[in-house]
Amino acid sequence: MTFHKILVANRGEIAVRIIRACRELGIYSVAVYSEADRDALHVRLADEAYCIGPTASKDSYLSFTNLMSVATLTECDAVHPGYGFLAENADFAEICESCNIAFIGPSPDAISRMGDKSVAKQTMKEAHVPIIPGSDGLVESVEDAMSIARDIGYPVIIKATAGGGGKGIRIADNEEMLVQQITTAQQEAQNAFGNSGVYLEKYLTGMKHVEIQIIADKHGNVVHLGERDCSVQRRRQKLVEEAPCPILTPEIRQAMGQAAVRAAQAVNYSGAGTLEFLLAPDGQFYFMEMNTRIQVEHPVTEMITGVDIIKEMIRVAEGHPLSFAQDDVQINGWAIECRVNAEDPNRNFMPSAGQIKFYLPPGGFGVRVDSAAYQGYTIPPHYDSMVAKLIVWGKDRADAIARTKRALSEFAVEGVFTTIPFHLKLLEHKVFISGHHDIKFLEEHDVNNPDS
Amino acid sequence: MFKLSEIKELIKLVDQSSLQELEIENEGSRLLIRKPNKTESVLVTSAPVQHAYAPAPVHAPVPHAVAAAAAEPHAEAVSKPVDASLHTITSPMVGTFYQSASPGAAPFVGVGSKVGDKTVVCIVEAMKLMNEIEAEIKGEIVEILVDNGQLVEYGQPLFLVKPE
Repeated sequence: MTFHKILVANRGEIAVRIIRACRELGIYSVAVYSEADRDALHVRLADEAYCIGPTASKDSYLSFTNLMSVATLTECDAVHPGYGFLAENADFAEICESCNIAFIGPSPDAISRMGDKSVAKQTMKEAHVPIIPGSDGLVESVEDAMSIARDIGYPVIIKATAGGGGKGIRIADNEEMLVQQITTAQQEAQNAFGNSGVYLEKYLTGMKHVEIQIIADKHGNVVHLGERDCSVQRRRQKLVEEAPCPILTPEIRQAMGQAAVRAAQAVNYSGAGTLEFLLAPDGQFYFMEMNTRIQVEHPVTEMITGVDIIKEMIRVAEGHPLSFAQDDVQINGWAIECRVNAEDPNRNFMPSAGQIKFYLPPGGFGVRVDSAAYQGYTIPPHYDSMVAKLIVWGKDRADAIARTKRALSEFAVEGVFTTIPFHLKLLEHKVFISGHHDIKFLEEHDVNNPDS
Repeated sequence: MFKLSEIKELIKLVDQSSLQELEIENEGSRLLIRKPNKTESVLVTSAPVQHAYAPAPVHAPVPHAVAAAAAEPHAEAVSKPVDASLHTITSPMVGTFYQSASPGAAPFVGVGSKVGDKTVVCIVEAMKLMNEIEAEIKGEIVEILVDNGQLVEYGQPLFLVKPE
């Protein structure tokens, strides 16, 4: 079957990305927007567009009623949720199903099982996927936490089970800190996620964040598309991603890829998904969490494999088998993505919303820009600060780094501060160039000093 | 509160009988079921309005005219220069605009109608739930900006009112 019309339940660059895929597949696209997004690019590009609420996300992009209203009244066959918003909301996936509208993603059950982080860990353990040593499920009491921490050894990390994406995390270096942090962490989790459950893990150091992209169809086929190294992070938010990972050997890649496929099979997964791992310097890897949606950094995988992941997601949701098998997946060259955000890197990355007075993205061989920005567009302060994703392909890592520097230096954005200068400095830093940077790289080194 | 299963059962019974209309009041909830005529959908009004994403058994076919009309609303609304002294009643949600409580019934308001704060001016239907929209202003209807059965989006202008 082929979808006739898809509702794009998102905004910004990912909405533009999905609309482009729809257009290439000959599928009509329906955009939705809040009042603040009236002039957004995704609204102009789609075949139809409807205002679904006021500025506040909870009354617009998160409004089940308004979204389903538009989907049913415009006779959409499917909804693509993008990332963030309702992409990992099992209730929303279920409501789509009950309205006979395909949710372009996995089943509500797979979403719930992976969305609850401590349940996900247990599922992974049973699928023989290595997990970080820690508590067996949620922490029952402070005494319980103290005894677990004594077993696994300090420092420990306290994580909210309903968290994810770097949110709801606290570190405890010793027992005193643990006692202090545990109840605070539980309260914060209750307020932020409506679920006070927390679990403990050993806090591993020197780790790289390496994730595996998988894609599965509804016929039982699961394929992995290799890894991405997302170790350049600030406050647990990714800033630069690359594929492949500079320190991964073919053997570990295969082991991680197979572990990711087993994980997806364990929850009868369908659609695109990402397994996030921590990779130790000795090559040992540990499951961290699974994201049951398309990720921001998916383009780096697309550049080195040639697979259009968004189109494949749509085809899978239509019921088709994957258009390729594991043996068909070839890694070719190197890709780097820089997230260009409207933030002032000299003022602690303070958000810089406002009107883009001049906008000229870079171009040329191996340069891709995924963005919803345009000259004259005013970036609203209400949502994320992303201006554009600059994705560069090179024949190897050195080539990709050089080309990224060239592209960044052409990228002109005036009217708002951007993180372009930050990225230019980062690409000169000797630790980044070595490829051995871990997730604490930005915390422990000064990006302004390339030799620090 | 009427359970979904009860509503489904009642719809079935009314459908199979020669009854044109059935109204039941129970513990503060009112249920009104009317038989449709040839083109309109079955209207089921149940107060209080709640978020019921129920897979409604009554799947009325959306008139194709709605989809075509829907492509234009934004452009239409913007191109009309509006007299600044007039108040605009806008839609608080996405749904289908109905000018009367049921097909064939008299419209809630027309041009020239006097309205008060609580006067119901129209219904916006979303996911099979009827939402009565109140004027929230005292005045006189000067213009009706949308057509019966048209898809309306959040914030879409519905009526122009000359305030008192």
